[in-house]
Amino acid sequence: MTPVFLIAVNFVREQRWPILVLLLWILLLAFLGLATDISREREDLLFIFKQVAVYVVVFSIFFGGSAIYNERRSRRVLAVLAKDVARHQYLSGLVIGVTITCVIYCFSLGLTGSWTLGPAGFPVEHVWYLMVCLTAASMLAGTVALMFSTFLNPFFAAGATAIVLGTPVALAHTLSTRWGYLVPVYELTTRVTSSSFSTPGLGTWWPILLALGETFLFWMFSVWIFKRIDIAVAVE
Amino acid sequence: MSAALEFQEISKEYRNFPGRRIRALDRFSLQVEQGEIFGFLGPNGAGKSTAIHLAMGFMLPTGGSGSMLGSPFGNARIRRRVGFLAENVALYHRRAERLVRFYGALNGMRGTVLKKRAHEVLEAVRLVEHASRNVGRFSRGMLQRVGLAQALVNDPDLLILDEPTSALDPLARVAVRELLLKARDAGKTIFLSSHLLSEVELVCDRVAVLHRGKLARLGRTADLLQSGEQIEVIVRGIRENAFAGAKAEDGIVRFSVPTNLQRPTLEQVWNLGGEVVSMNPVRRSLEQIFLEVTAQHEAGQKI
Repeated sequence: MTPVFLIAVNFVREQRWPILVLLLWILLLAFLGLATDISREREDLLFIFKQVAVYVVVFSIFFGGSAIYNERRSRRVLAVLAKDVARHQYLSGLVIGVTITCVIYCFSLGLTGSWTLGPAGFPVEHVWYLMVCLTAASMLAGTVALMFSTFLNPFFAAGATAIVLGTPVALAHTLSTRWGYLVPVYELTTRVTSSSFSTPGLGTWWPILLALGETFLFWMFSVWIFKRIDIAVAVE
Repeated sequence: MSAALEFQEISKEYRNFPGRRIRALDRFSLQVEQGEIFGFLGPNGAGKSTAIHLAMGFMLPTGGSGSMLGSPFGNARIRRRVGFLAENVALYHRRAERLVRFYGALNGMRGTVLKKRAHEVLEAVRLVEHASRNVGRFSRGMLQRVGLAQALVNDPDLLILDEPTSALDPLARVAVRELLLKARDAGKTIFLSSHLLSEVELVCDRVAVLHRGKLARLGRTADLLQSGEQIEVIVRGIRENAFAGAKAEDGIVRFSVPTNLQRPTLEQVWNLGGEVVSMNPVRRSLEQIFLEVTAQHEAGQKI
């Protein structure tokens, strides 16, 4: 377990600058909460909150989609896998690293959201429910991207992830809304984007559990692929 | 005693983008015994790094198999007893001591043992005064030394080093050489891939030359360096021009003759009234052997 934790913490450490830049958006939201008349501008505030919230899903795809590629290209992966670290442990470390990154963001956003939207009449428990939805969605999106990054470069990994996450949405629009739960990233994100002061969006928990289950499945699939590929590309 | 490292008929093919196949290793077999320093030589593209990456489990063989300290290639658990330094070492940008401790922790080391060991290995590679500096600001030579420190931190039984001294200055090279000899004396096995043939010549017990994915030459370094084809004759009391290619200095005349002419040469020296000081097989450099082997292989493959 320790190597997994070390790799996860190391991943977060390596991503500290992008994380800090992301947290600046939350700081901006907090600043707006301070500077505006909450009772009059509450709709604008909620709009910005939702917009800032969605960024984490997009960034989890970038974090996951570039993780392995960057490590392989820089050859830093060699020194790690030369130790007592199995490939599935390495991938687990990256998945947990992506998750920690998303949790840091969602927790900070949850705190700021509670502080700014709470006094404006948005129930605080709903803010935290939305943050859990967002964390589950970004975890799943990041793991799908990570799976593709085991054999694709970040650009194609992001494209392939968009296809996997977008197909259920297209099916939900053309066939039945149930298809939206096939890979429930969009479904969970919609809970955040469609929330309002009149319908804050406290819903069921099973799509979150479904997302967690699928994260595990995609992680298993990533491991299956990662065990079958060459990590080092010959320099000769 | 089982071999520390064993390649059994191992092959590796790469596929290029249009589907063209490149054979990096071709039914390559080799045994590295425990407690020896083994030199792994070959020109660029010979397949040395591929062989090392297969042993470390970074790559999967197309055919054949191999074992490291008695376990099949790719076994993560056995890597706890292995130290590895890659060519073009790439490490995370952290303070040197923390970095070494990070890699030690990945191998299950903890607490004061790890802290003490990290300090020891940084001292061994002469970086202890830079322990609190970020390796991102290190020169290439210093980076290579930190790389060596992280490979040594777990006190490995088998050390696999891919070009460990390529970026080092002569002083650091001597230090690394001493480190390797000390490790060998402590019973460790060292598998050393290098282009610095003079270094290999000085420290390795055995060497193998790889060429185009095949083993071209294997033997004890001392045996390879002694040519069986030429004898160096040192005599006194004869004139320099008595033998072709002879050189005289302070009354001592040196020249080389083919081994099969040893006896007639002796008789000729005595007939000329000379005295034989010594007759020894000609000692060649590893560089000569390397060039000879690769040239022979090139010629063989052209035929």
